[in-house]
Amino acid sequence: MRHHELLEKIQKWKKEGYSVDELARIIVSTFKSKETMFVVFISLLILFSGSLGGILVYADVYDEVQSRIVEVLCLSCIKLDPKTQLDFTFETANGQPYSNFVLAGLTRGPVFLAFREDVCTACDIMEPITQEIFSVEYEKEDAVYKIVPFDNANITFIHINIDHTSKEKRDSLFIYDKDHIKGVPMFTIITLGYDRGFIKPYYTTAYGTLGLDKDEDRKELLTNVILDAIELYNENRPGYRPQ
Amino acid sequence: MKFQLKRLLSQLSILFAANLGALGFKTGFCFPFFYCNACPAATSACPLRAIEVGVFNGEFKWKLITYPLLIIGTIGVLTGRAVCGWACPIGLLQRTTGRVPKKLKRKFPSIAKIGQHKIERYFRYTKYFVLIGLVVITPILIGFMFTDICPVGVLTGTLPIMILNPSKYVPNPFFHVALIVFILFFVLIFIIERGWCRYFCPVGALLAPFNKVSFLHISVNKEECIHCNVCSDECPMGIDIPNMHRNPECILCGKCINACPKNLIKFERI
Repeated sequence: MRHHELLEKIQKWKKEGYSVDELARIIVSTFKSKETMFVVFISLLILFSGSLGGILVYADVYDEVQSRIVEVLCLSCIKLDPKTQLDFTFETANGQPYSNFVLAGLTRGPVFLAFREDVCTACDIMEPITQEIFSVEYEKEDAVYKIVPFDNANITFIHINIDHTSKEKRDSLFIYDKDHIKGVPMFTIITLGYDRGFIKPYYTTAYGTLGLDKDEDRKELLTNVILDAIELYNENRPGYRPQ
Repeated sequence: MKFQLKRLLSQLSILFAANLGALGFKTGFCFPFFYCNACPAATSACPLRAIEVGVFNGEFKWKLITYPLLIIGTIGVLTGRAVCGWACPIGLLQRTTGRVPKKLKRKFPSIAKIGQHKIERYFRYTKYFVLIGLVVITPILIGFMFTDICPVGVLTGTLPIMILNPSKYVPNPFFHVALIVFILFFVLIFIIERGWCRYFCPVGALLAPFNKVSFLHISVNKEECIHCNVCSDECPMGIDIPNMHRNPECILCGKCINACPKNLIKFERI
């Protein structure tokens, strides 16, 4: 209540016959209420803004939100799957060189990367399928690096939860993000291919629930890509000179 | 400049700022209103997504839970639910659709009754159940997340992605349920003015309690009010303005201030 409004009220109350005590009580309660509100407001403002400033300065939450929520999408969250064109390519998605842990695995056989994040329903749908294909069991936050015999070849299976991994492995999501989706779940298989006189790493990437409705179809699609990768690897391995 | 025009400019400016991600300006903040980080141009993260990530499967990541709450809290303490009326892009959408429910109310009295039924005020608590139930409890207990079926996500994330890259995406298993929710969302906002804000918006539920203590609020001079109810008719949130005191539903749009024939309603600080 503004000062002049209060004076007007006092005049009105005087005319209507309020006692001085009652008038004083009303005035005091008015100011008291205003003061109380002001104290509550200031306290809450200091509490919220101070805590926000503190969390921004002393915790890595800003980077965490940017790298985990803003820059990497959950494909179940966008309710769409990229139309997966499973054609192999030599060029990495962001022009960066192939990761060292991938090149190390590539000396033994094709490398399969399964990317996910903690909070992703589509990742939860796809995880049992990759576990079944490679006969491995793990929890969603586990980092898995396992050499799996598969159709007379050795495949290096690497499970990467981007919320629980090294920077190198997290960054590899963007190296093999062939269609520039920046979303998980993402599955990459790296093999070898022939490129103008050289044998080089050659990869393809699938996303989301693969645009398919049934688990059997998803399993079949991934298995076929893996078999193609093994065939390419066996064809080109003799000429591969790891750098 | 007319007051409501100022509000429109504010809403359009915030919409522009929320989409600066199109110019590469992607930040690690959370929006203090409802907007999807899956939008190809989004500048920041959805606060609800951050909360879900913070509580998912009972793993309480305190930073991700408190961060959006502190952003919303700081703004809420200053302006209450004015964010809904002055900043939220979904509020802007409902502002543009707001004339339809008004016309429908005049044409079909049965529709008017929907918003005036005596249980309507209890139905407004639904948004708190949506917030606590679908954004907090189900992600903890069963891994079901509101953002997987969020109609605002469909509007600001899914559809723009599909429009920008029509040949690149196909619907996944979450699309069909989300689409049904999205259609219901649109039906709602065309039948009841600000129907989403009134009954279902979880971000509105986060902001609403701050109206009780916010620096800025709308006050009514009850002693001189003639109870003509012009203000209540004008209120997009369907509030009984003459009897209002720091109502959690008030979005501080100021329509009641413009409508009052006696100029008894005004913005007040503290």
